[in-house]
Amino acid sequence: MADVDEEAIQVPANAAAQPEVDLSDETQDFRFLNHLNFFSDSSPSIPRRGEKDFEPNPTELQADVLSASRGAMHNALSYPRLHGPKTRVIAFYAPDGFVPPAQIARPTPKAGEDEKSSESTPKPARPLPNSARISPDACVYVPNPKGQLFKSMGQADSSSRVWLLPEEALYLIERGSLDIRWPSPAGSTAGPGEEDLSIPMSLQAAYACFMGRGGLTLERYSVYTGLKRLGYALIRAPGWCDDIEHLEADASDASEITSPKLHGPGLAGMLSSLFKWIHDPHSTASTATGPIIGTGIHRHYMDVYRKLAIIPWYDPATASERHPSDTTAPFRVVFHVYKPSTPFKKSAPPPPDFRVAVVSTRDQTTMPTMTQLGALLESTPLDPPRGEKMDRMMYMRLRHGYRNVVMAVVDQGVISYLRIADSAFGKEKLYENKGGPQGPKRGRNQKTRKR
Amino acid sequence: MDFQPDLPIPISYVSGRYLLFSIDAVTYLRREHNICGVLIGTLPQIPQQNVFLGLPLELMPEEARLLVDKGVACIVDEAKAHDGMNTLLEEDRRRYLRDLESQGLHVSRIQLDRKERNREQTLKKLEEKKAKAKAKASAAAEAPTVPEEGTSTPSPKNAAIVDLFNAEERSSSPSASMSTPPQAATAITPATSYPPLSTPSPSSYLSAPAVPSSYPLFAHLHSKGYFLSPGLRFGCQYVAYPGDPLRFHSHFLVVSYDWDQQIDLMDLVVGGRLGTGVKKGFLIGGPQKGIDSVDSEADRVDTVRAFSLEWAGM
Repeated sequence: MADVDEEAIQVPANAAAQPEVDLSDETQDFRFLNHLNFFSDSSPSIPRRGEKDFEPNPTELQADVLSASRGAMHNALSYPRLHGPKTRVIAFYAPDGFVPPAQIARPTPKAGEDEKSSESTPKPARPLPNSARISPDACVYVPNPKGQLFKSMGQADSSSRVWLLPEEALYLIERGSLDIRWPSPAGSTAGPGEEDLSIPMSLQAAYACFMGRGGLTLERYSVYTGLKRLGYALIRAPGWCDDIEHLEADASDASEITSPKLHGPGLAGMLSSLFKWIHDPHSTASTATGPIIGTGIHRHYMDVYRKLAIIPWYDPATASERHPSDTTAPFRVVFHVYKPSTPFKKSAPPPPDFRVAVVSTRDQTTMPTMTQLGALLESTPLDPPRGEKMDRMMYMRLRHGYRNVVMAVVDQGVISYLRIADSAFGKEKLYENKGGPQGPKRGRNQKTRKR
Repeated sequence: MDFQPDLPIPISYVSGRYLLFSIDAVTYLRREHNICGVLIGTLPQIPQQNVFLGLPLELMPEEARLLVDKGVACIVDEAKAHDGMNTLLEEDRRRYLRDLESQGLHVSRIQLDRKERNREQTLKKLEEKKAKAKAKASAAAEAPTVPEEGTSTPSPKNAAIVDLFNAEERSSSPSASMSTPPQAATAITPATSYPPLSTPSPSSYLSAPAVPSSYPLFAHLHSKGYFLSPGLRFGCQYVAYPGDPLRFHSHFLVVSYDWDQQIDLMDLVVGGRLGTGVKKGFLIGGPQKGIDSVDSEADRVDTVRAFSLEWAGM
């Protein structure tokens, strides 16, 4: 309880604008949910954290509070997923994946014609422009999609049914926005009453059917929903499949187009200075036998510092682009993530704001090796720090790095996000910084790090 | 509330993970067996946030193993169990759909009822306001004493809907007196598939989950009444709570070692400082006996010793 009080003191009034305490870090008291009215029109706001006790004691008070908390949790969790008659969106589970809409013909405007005629005149000969794009992993279709959610999800086929990937379908059914139906039994009577006996899929059934389908693991799904709930848009990245090889051709083409090699004049200058240093005829320095700085005349501290820089470093801007197939299994970009503010079009997704790799702690119990991390970073396009702010502030530049990737580490449902950036410490020559250190504790023990 | 589910509780084995979908099982295990798991699902009533999450509940393999060893739970391969969906008899389908429809009608009625009540309340409030204004305007001499009506409390209304799914059937619901019949039933996505599926037979149970080498320490702490949850986010293997994490802060950061394992001193320093920094103890421990020297895991649990480190004089 003491730390709660301290926190209240430390967190200033602007805490609402910049919440430093991640509420999802801790188990929350579900009693707070009682204060929310789920049926109000305005979206409910999340309460701030409550007080917890230090340890159990045998008082009635504590027992009562605990059972109230548990009761609230029970109530919140047993709230059903409802589909009002007006907002209901029905989908169908297709266990065999995408089927071209030939045999399930759309009811034509000519309602007088009976269904057999439409069956006898299938239209597969017509080119289906969209069908090619539908992922073979898609397994749920929505005949009549409506609502905001389909703006960033699903792929429409030629008869405007929207096909959903397993994670999309699972996310929608879990949030109570989709009513997925089992396929009708094989022997049932077709006709107008065709869908009558289709049973709604339970959440449990949806997990059983969709999880493990098309490379979807619970960890990937947890990351997907976790970010979806926060408003991000996510699509699968080329690294999703474990066997990337067959995608190689188009993927490498794409990466060549999207990321032209960057050879700025600054880089060339830096390289030439490096070479000058190496081939300096006047240099008498030797790390093995003599003083590092050498015995020449040094008129400037710059020369001394330059000679002191004996640790080799590499320039991330010149590093070779690598293909996702060079990466090793969990350390591979599986999601492209878009901020809610990024205009997102699912037919032509823009370059992603974040690239996310998903790691399960139970399958991968060690830190990634340098090789694995290097391959992961090099499979992302070059993203050098740009902009006025970045030019001005060195530490922002270092933190941003030249390539970056987000690693989502999932520990039994608990997700931690780590941003890994390829920083070029060697490029930031502190001794050339005329203004000197601009702030506390700066630039004293900067090490030239490779990564 | 103190609902007792049929034992053993089936734990769904889905794509290599252990999940629970039944709210009764979740509350029961939390209450009686100190098993919390991690909620990973979206709450349908407030879907756009990550603070309060809903079903399913993910269990660590350690938790699942512990429950199976205790005889409280069993592991069911859910994908296989749902193959039974295709062979469901037509009459079963019909009965199930009828059940769902009646539940849906019930929900519709409750919602309609609530709307009605809300409207009445707002009307009442409006009238009160009018009356107040009138009273103020007309009689400045007389002190207007308009009795304040209690504002609406939302929770009982929520409870009404929730209760519907807790108890099998409420005979006398507040909506029984409703005069206007609802136009259409609300469709429901059930949380579990039992029914329509029948409970799996014991022959189909999977074997107890494989557990990491930290299991003896996990089981040991659990037997001492601690609630354990995954701890990598806090820099350890498990976080140990003295009581239900709903109400208590955690006391220990737990890391398991083998008895003969060499421990890097730096790990102890780092763990000890981390733990003290967040007002927790850094707890290390492990079984004294190896797997080869005993018959079962349970024997190893008895030989666990645990030590806690605290940074003094910081």
